[in-house]
Amino acid sequence: MPPLDRLPDDPAGHVPDDAQEWIRRFPVLEQALSHPLDRRRTLKLLALALAGGGLAGCDPGTPDRGFVSAVRAAPGVIPGVPNIYASAHVRDGYAHGILVTHQMGRPIKVEGNPAHPASLGATDIFAQAAIQDFYDPDRASGPLQDGMPASWQEVTTALQALRAQGAASGTPGLRILTGTVGSPTLGAAIDAVLAAHPGAVWHQWDAIGRDAVRQGAALAYGLPAMVIPDLRQVDVMLAVDSDMLDSAPGHLRHARAFAARRNPVRGPMNRLYAVEPTPSLTGIAADHRFIATPAGCDEIIGRLGARILRNEAPSGGPPWLEAVVADLRAHPGRALIHLGPDHGPESHAAIHAMNEALGGRGQAFGVFEPPEYGPASTQSSLSDLMDDMENGRVRALLILDVNPVYQVPRFAEALRRVPLSVALADRPHETAMAARWHIPLAHGFEEWGDARADDGTATILQPQAMPLYGGVSAVTLLRACAGEAVRSARDQVRATWRDRLGPERDWRAALAAGVVPATAAARIDAAIVPPGGPFVPVRHTSGGSADLTLLLRPDPHLWDGREANNPWLQELPRPLSKTVWGNPLLIPPDLAQARGLRNGDTVALMVGARRVELPVWVQPGQAPGCIVGFLGSGRRHAGETGNAVGTDLYPLRDESALVRMVATGRAGVVACTEHHATVIADAPSDIVRHGTLAQFRRDPAFLGNARQDEPVPAAALYRRKPDAPVAWGMSIDLNACIGCNACMTACQAENNVPVVGRSEVLRQREMHWLRIDRTYEGTQDAPDTFFQPMLCMHCEQAPCETVCPVGATMHDSEGLNVMVYNRCVGTKFCSNNCPYKVRRFNYFAFAEQERRPPISRNPDVSVRARGVMEKCTFCVQRIAQARIAADRDGVPEQVVTACQAACPTQAITFGDINDPDAAVSHRKVSPLTYVALPEQGTHPRVTYEGRIRNRNPAIAL
Amino acid sequence: MTSLPVIAPDETAQSLTERICAVALREGAPAWTPVWWWLAFGLSLGLLGLGVVAVMWLFYAGLGIWGIDWPVAWGLDILNYVWWIAIASGGTFISALFFLLGVEWRTALNRLAESLTLCAALCAAIFPILHLGRPWFFYWLFPYPNTMGLWAQFRSPLVWDFFAILTYVLASILFWYFGLLPDLATLRDRARGQGRRVFYGVLALGFRGSGRQWQHYRSVYAVMAALMAPLVVSVHSIVGMDFAGSAATGWHSTQFPPFFVFGAALSGFAVVLLALLPLRSLLGLHPYVTERHIDVLGRLLLTSSLCVGYAYVMDAFATFYGPDAADRTMFMLRAFGLYAPVYWGTIVLNIVFPQLLWWQSLRLTQPLVWLIALGVLTGMWLERFQIIVTSLARTQLPSAWGQYTPTIWEWSLLFGTIGLFLTAFLLIVRLMPVIAMAEMRAMLRGMR
Repeated sequence: MPPLDRLPDDPAGHVPDDAQEWIRRFPVLEQALSHPLDRRRTLKLLALALAGGGLAGCDPGTPDRGFVSAVRAAPGVIPGVPNIYASAHVRDGYAHGILVTHQMGRPIKVEGNPAHPASLGATDIFAQAAIQDFYDPDRASGPLQDGMPASWQEVTTALQALRAQGAASGTPGLRILTGTVGSPTLGAAIDAVLAAHPGAVWHQWDAIGRDAVRQGAALAYGLPAMVIPDLRQVDVMLAVDSDMLDSAPGHLRHARAFAARRNPVRGPMNRLYAVEPTPSLTGIAADHRFIATPAGCDEIIGRLGARILRNEAPSGGPPWLEAVVADLRAHPGRALIHLGPDHGPESHAAIHAMNEALGGRGQAFGVFEPPEYGPASTQSSLSDLMDDMENGRVRALLILDVNPVYQVPRFAEALRRVPLSVALADRPHETAMAARWHIPLAHGFEEWGDARADDGTATILQPQAMPLYGGVSAVTLLRACAGEAVRSARDQVRATWRDRLGPERDWRAALAAGVVPATAAARIDAAIVPPGGPFVPVRHTSGGSADLTLLLRPDPHLWDGREANNPWLQELPRPLSKTVWGNPLLIPPDLAQARGLRNGDTVALMVGARRVELPVWVQPGQAPGCIVGFLGSGRRHAGETGNAVGTDLYPLRDESALVRMVATGRAGVVACTEHHATVIADAPSDIVRHGTLAQFRRDPAFLGNARQDEPVPAAALYRRKPDAPVAWGMSIDLNACIGCNACMTACQAENNVPVVGRSEVLRQREMHWLRIDRTYEGTQDAPDTFFQPMLCMHCEQAPCETVCPVGATMHDSEGLNVMVYNRCVGTKFCSNNCPYKVRRFNYFAFAEQERRPPISRNPDVSVRARGVMEKCTFCVQRIAQARIAADRDGVPEQVVTACQAACPTQAITFGDINDPDAAVSHRKVSPLTYVALPEQGTHPRVTYEGRIRNRNPAIAL
Repeated sequence: MTSLPVIAPDETAQSLTERICAVALREGAPAWTPVWWWLAFGLSLGLLGLGVVAVMWLFYAGLGIWGIDWPVAWGLDILNYVWWIAIASGGTFISALFFLLGVEWRTALNRLAESLTLCAALCAAIFPILHLGRPWFFYWLFPYPNTMGLWAQFRSPLVWDFFAILTYVLASILFWYFGLLPDLATLRDRARGQGRRVFYGVLALGFRGSGRQWQHYRSVYAVMAALMAPLVVSVHSIVGMDFAGSAATGWHSTQFPPFFVFGAALSGFAVVLLALLPLRSLLGLHPYVTERHIDVLGRLLLTSSLCVGYAYVMDAFATFYGPDAADRTMFMLRAFGLYAPVYWGTIVLNIVFPQLLWWQSLRLTQPLVWLIALGVLTGMWLERFQIIVTSLARTQLPSAWGQYTPTIWEWSLLFGTIGLFLTAFLLIVRLMPVIAMAEMRAMLRGMR
């Protein structure tokens, strides 16, 4: 078709040939063109051209992408009824099973897969936030060559050239760089490329690697192995700088098993000791938390080895060590030591030997075949690759879904020496921009795949939606590189699992369940290699001087930086510091005092010749002389949300020079959801109640106030308990809560809670309906730290309700404190009058300003407008769905709130407190049950179970 | 002490009427309209314009342009509201309460004081609407019959407040206007131009000074005064209950209703002094507003300052006598924390400085009294800041502590209402008799 703009150029009356087609389609044109053009007619034509332009923008609809009429719904899609499909969330090669909830064919919420051993129904923050990643508007939409848009045809041609070149020279110099690969299908595809290109090399590397863990196991057992703790069977555990409850593979399962034995009301407690340089979730959950620098941890490992492996007499060391060793030894077979990934392989091997000596194998832990595909030492692999790149031995490099240009200093220079570099990336990130070719990567929700959990259990990843932006999977790209005939990813996955899931019935069952049966890794019989001589720690932390140690750790929410463009995770308060949108340097209180630094002051951090400036944040309970920086911030090409948020600390990595920190004298600004100086209470709090197991044994109800909370009849002026058959209530077990924030992200996803951005957080306007309050007690050098989820208490005597002049917040008959958004005029009095401060106000149209597309929202939850108050509803939409299901099927209502569903430790229980058999009723009669701020007389429907710690009496506090 | 005369000895009804009418009708010896008026009016209009811009931008962009946040969801909006409504009390105290008490010095002050009340009440009435997240639905606070079958929520102090303010503003307007009728009639009769005659004639509503009209006038005025006097107590009590009716730390206090009445009296007397002293010399009102009036107002200011001081002491006492730790934390922040200058500024300006008024010689030192009055108005503003902001900044849960910093738009709105206040007041001063001539004449007759 000719463009319309040619028409007015022609002499009047003459219709050019190529306009005939237009005239045939729009007969009015003939009349228009047969007359001399006047202004009016020209305008008409212009309008027509404009409309034509709009039509041209419509997707023509290709055979495989036909439109689905709204009149006839797609099969299986019923408006308003969610569909649920199993899949898995994969991070650094290890998967945990998820169930993706769809509404009208679009994924809107992630839940854990109860059938999956690494999920058990729970999710972590990353899986919850995957919805934002999927709908991220900054994802790549097409291939780029040297930064210019290219067609898929050109990509194919380039890959053909790569193959031809390899075939011609015989030594192709092809390299493949991936992260840890757990997917058998992807592994097979890599093998296919390696087979098609003789001499090609596969390098594995993760920015936040677990090399030391893998090498340590290999050292200990003489072959690649995966050592998996089974916390269900552990009575006493020592966690040394451990990430067991935070982020280790299988952490959701570990957290579940750990927390299941934390409430003395429900059974005997386990005991956890933690030694660590900077507070972690594992450390906060511990009964005893000891503070040690990394060097101190090494020393402790050495002394533990001396005591446990060689039975040497105790000599020196921290005073508590002997009591811990005695406790570990007193529980043979049920004691475990766990070491975090930031320690060297030798340390891990030593710990494995100690665990064997404590007799825990088969009970407290097991040794399994590793789930990774072709486990390899990855750090050396990357340095080999960079050597080869710098020396021109790499002719072509495929970078699959890793971002070394951002994460590895000097990688960008090395990459320039590679003639053909192809980056498969979900967005034009640093590496994709530096590579010759950028090929868009399909999101895990868009393509078929498979993945394995830490224990080897496999899951088939089914696509959850048509690709939003275009993009291919790594498997597809690799098969194309291998020169194979184009096969769909589904066929390839199917082929991988032909042996196990041959029949269609089995295949479908595995898809539906989200688990391929009987794929858990086998136990290994390998005996421990006895350590030769005393353990000598190998220094592994970067840098270090006599008084300053720099620890660079993954950001708890952005991880290695990949989540930097995820607004939910950027605005999720870091568990301890509660900082958001940035990565201040965490410094210990004594250092802050010595240098006169306060929260937000800017320092220059120098490691050798490298220098970065960033603000500091005082972290109570951090080891003296240890400064902690979170990697993953300061992205240059993460996307509009994540660019230039925080400071990039990767340049400081792998430097062995002295660390220096100099105050610049400038005050920076750190966004934090605690809008005041850190409070360290000197007296036990009434808000987070806690005590010891010994106290509990003397008087189990010593913390509870539920009984005193019973109403005095004469004082109850207003009718307190509505008289509906159902009364919703919640119980939160502070013994189980580890402060992982999964509930916060789940709430945000479920309830369309908007993200407000850094500047609005600085103006104290974050919108989280559910927050995790973090309380410090004691001294700032070694505080007692507590987490407490805080959400709308659904008070039976709700102070918010009495002050609303228009009745926009009311009580319903089932005890829900409901918020009628349409009625709210925005006086904000309810927020002022809420003792728990769980109400949030839309100062601006925050939801409208979000970058996420409207289709990504939960259609069952209103999106709130400007000027309206909002708060937790106890997931009233889920209650409504459960009621419909109950009415239809005649079974009791089963309501699971979003926070409850996500919680790895089942700290949150929700249900009908009128039903004495409901789980929530059982929990509410626990002697530990108390309500927050009882003196307010609000009679909350949310109660807490006070935290009990199983202190070792032999250790003086 | 009472020996000071309430009116200059050589004043007659004739001279009084001529002098006061001359101001409104631009007749007589001084060359009207004077330059100071135009200057002041120009400045006021400028401030008013700023306020209009602030309101327009607020409606367009939303409440987020202000500094209010979580947990401090009320800031300068409610603060200014409470401040203005307290200022609006002065006229009613002087005009209604002291009318009922039959004190002679009240007559020369009541018109001025009532006008101040009216202007301040108008300024106050703006904020309850502007502070809403969705101000276009403000009428939902009113129990009007509607198809949604919805009603206001009568347990909320904000509903009481809505009624109290509405009643107070309406009653103030009526009281002020009704009291003006005889004087408007005088102006109508004395005006020379046709336009002025029509203007004042229409406003005078046909008041001709017949015995019957006077009889009705006197009885209605007395009834209205009897209504206004309790109204001023109720409105400030209810403003106090806006806070006391909540459960928030620092607000949940049984003494708030009388405390707010005390504060209102203090602000009201201060603003009367603040306006009276310059006007007295600018308009040449010395014969009618004598040192006696200044002396009396100084004593009232001192008395109400002592009442407010008592409330401050009780506030501190109750905090430490009571069991609530959050209250004590909040009080420590108030007195020694981030906002300590606000607290001590309040004490000094509202309590310490007014103690100078114990001495009559100082009471009659006009610049000093004027400065004390200005200080009291500032102090009352600071007092509201500490009540509203520091209370919300330190709530029961330490996790929900915060701060508040007003933005330029909140300040603009404050100065905008000051502009509105001055604009309205200057117009009244220019166009209406600033002294109640009819009542003054009656008083003069009584004295003869």
